[in-house]
Amino acid sequence: MLRFVARRLAFAVVSVAAVVLVTFLLVHAAPGAPMLGTPETIASPEVVARQRALFGLDRPLPEQLLRYAVNLARGRLGESFVLHRPVADVLAEAVPNTLLLGGTALLASLLLGLAAAAAQAARHHTRTDTVLGVVTLVFYSVPVFWLGLVLLLVFGEHLHWLPVAGMTSAAIHDRLPPLGRALDVARHLVLPAASLALVQAAAFARFQRAALLETLAAAHIRSARARGLPERAILLRHALRGALAPTITLAGLSVPYFLAGSVLIESIFGWPGLGRVTYDAIFARDYNVITAAALVAGVLVALGNLAADVAVAVADPRIRVDR
Amino acid sequence: MRLLPAVFAAAAIAASCERCAAPPGAAGGTMVIAATGDADVLLPPVTSLTTGINVSDLLFCRLAELKLGLNTIDDSGFRPVLARSWEHPDSLTIVFRLDPRARWQDGAPVTAADVAYTFRVYRDPAVNAPLAPFLAAIDTVTAADSLTAVFRFRRWYPEQLYDATYHMRILPRHLLDTIPAARLATAPFARAPVGDGPYRFVSWRTGAEITLAGDTAFFLGRPGLDRLIWRIVPELPSAVSQLLAGEADAMEVIPARGQLERVQQARNVRLVPYASPFYGAIVFNLRRPPFADREVRRAVAMAVDRQTVVRSVFGPFADVAAGAVSPMQWIWSDSIRQLPFDTAAAARMLDQRGWRRTAGGARGRAGTPLRFTLLVPTSSQWRQQAAVIVQDEMRRLGVELHIEPVEFTVMERRTTSGDFDAALVSRTTDPSPASVLQWWSPGAGANIGGFADSAFQALTATALRARTRAEAAPRWRRVLERLNDEAPAVFLVSPRNEAAIGTRFADVTIRPDSWLATVTEWRVAGDRGAAGR
Repeated sequence: MLRFVARRLAFAVVSVAAVVLVTFLLVHAAPGAPMLGTPETIASPEVVARQRALFGLDRPLPEQLLRYAVNLARGRLGESFVLHRPVADVLAEAVPNTLLLGGTALLASLLLGLAAAAAQAARHHTRTDTVLGVVTLVFYSVPVFWLGLVLLLVFGEHLHWLPVAGMTSAAIHDRLPPLGRALDVARHLVLPAASLALVQAAAFARFQRAALLETLAAAHIRSARARGLPERAILLRHALRGALAPTITLAGLSVPYFLAGSVLIESIFGWPGLGRVTYDAIFARDYNVITAAALVAGVLVALGNLAADVAVAVADPRIRVDR
Repeated sequence: MRLLPAVFAAAAIAASCERCAAPPGAAGGTMVIAATGDADVLLPPVTSLTTGINVSDLLFCRLAELKLGLNTIDDSGFRPVLARSWEHPDSLTIVFRLDPRARWQDGAPVTAADVAYTFRVYRDPAVNAPLAPFLAAIDTVTAADSLTAVFRFRRWYPEQLYDATYHMRILPRHLLDTIPAARLATAPFARAPVGDGPYRFVSWRTGAEITLAGDTAFFLGRPGLDRLIWRIVPELPSAVSQLLAGEADAMEVIPARGQLERVQQARNVRLVPYASPFYGAIVFNLRRPPFADREVRRAVAMAVDRQTVVRSVFGPFADVAAGAVSPMQWIWSDSIRQLPFDTAAAARMLDQRGWRRTAGGARGRAGTPLRFTLLVPTSSQWRQQAAVIVQDEMRRLGVELHIEPVEFTVMERRTTSGDFDAALVSRTTDPSPASVLQWWSPGAGANIGGFADSAFQALTATALRARTRAEAAPRWRRVLERLNDEAPAVFLVSPRNEAAIGTRFADVTIRPDSWLATVTEWRVAGDRGAAGR
């Protein structure tokens, strides 16, 4: 297992380096330029020229790339052109928020997806199966930003059940006790996490249902039934564990979905995470932030895949990983 | 599933607690401001994003402030702030006497040395302050004594007081002068500043919230609201939803018609109109055909039914632009002479220039079709809608208009490098009529179309020498009318700014150039306690 993990980590390092290189080249090749001001306040050409010189953007591209690579090797991600802060500081504030949102959404989508799949498999070809199949198909087809807006309008603006936006209640958060603050964040987490989770839960449910039905037809399940084990125990103890592998793999592969979805969902719900930072940086052509965000996203995707591989091996002893 | 109603009930209780955090009638109170963008830094010389400017404006004072009329010429248009008084001992000097009560929030007095230091910072190329060019006419700023700052100008002009006071917010020398100029923007101070204004910095959660607290020791009196919180939500519909849900109390401007109509129907928020500092225009590139030809520009301008464009896109929330002037500026007038909307005359003008209709109805000359590309930023919904209407009007004139939607940064890159035929832009003015020069004078970096006209320059020079507002107004009118005649652009629209303010706030007035400039006088309805402070 250790050799397997080490090999995958080495592969991940190469992949992430490639992601950084491609991102660096793409953002510099993209039309537009940084430091041109905002739609309301256009910076004067003299100010722009001085800023570009300050950040070395007036140097040839290979020289800029070399400098970036050297700085990266020393653990320096550079400075944001717009925020005048070290990029590492910007990401250090944003990434935990995205992990909280994405992690919650992933967990919720797994639980919902597995529950729906188990219910469908247990009642195969019944009305429950049909209804849940339609529901999961609908959520699977819905664009995540549209679902986010609908949830915001219904549960936030009209029913006032949940906050519309932000990560905390601006007026009262700092006056709350620690538990109150945690609950406050949790309350703000519901809508953005649900927006991400419902779509992915539908995907998990559809995959898991198919895998469960296949497993339920296997010989060892028939033997279990023949031994008189209760149907509930067969489903949850034997069939579900054996059928988990595709869903765990899918969960690992869904990290890019959560990262991409967070760009939209964090903007809609004002969630101060990596997606928002990336979104703003792209439109401002804040090269250092964009490249560093790609680096972090690459690392998260690689770790997600690695975690999925390890989890599959743990969940299904038939899979050998040390070859 | 049985847990769900309980969770929602708890959430609803918590939400209602938030909304009643600052009940009407309570002293002080909190105002939550919905903002669609975060701040960059909170250091006035280098702050350039809207939220950063709004926040730092309340942390740092100017020597004097413009009154609501935004009269930039006469001394009577200003009210004292850090400077208790000022005088003009000669035509090149202004002497400011500082208010001895003024204090930095760490207790140190505000001194003339701070004023001199501030001038040096703004002018320092290492700081690269965007407003530095506006201080070019000031030669030196010195401290005659601890409470007397002396400004020496290179030449006389009527807006000396405006330039001396409007572009600089005074900085604390004792806290900053050990920091190298090039590192000021990245210094911790720039994210947690100590100011001398009516509000103190409390906290800044990047991308989420910025909180200020009213300074009870502010030398001009405690502000009416105890706390201001900027809540950052980038998407406009979500920001408006915050207002409607009662999670936010105010928003600087609601820029889209659909969102304005949502707010109009709300009971807890009202729209407060104020003059806009913007105008929208189709700027022509005069360096290349077809718009190098004055008559073609004029013909195209005369074929655009601006009234229809404005009504179709903005409904009642905008006016046809009077020219290169915003409604906020005191030189604005709806009687400024403009080119008429006259498609028949426009067609005749093109015929006379040899651009005649071909069999297909399109115009051409010597085998060259009359067509141009219009750059439109994808970030601006109104500009994309307006472009489509103009495209149809051009088609009827026989002119082929290709709309090219591009990202904002791409558009800026292309327009500043001259790589465009025409661009639908939004221009911000400051209160001074001289801001016309920023966009239209030869050599100005923002004069993207390359407009150069000796008559315009002569008229501008005359207007800049006018000693009083009464003398200057007709001169500036002639400047604007000359621009309209030369048609370097189709001056399309002046959007009406509509702020959204919670109905629980009273005494709300808005100074158009800086919507929170008078927020110290706002208060929660029913709280008259701060009135006498």
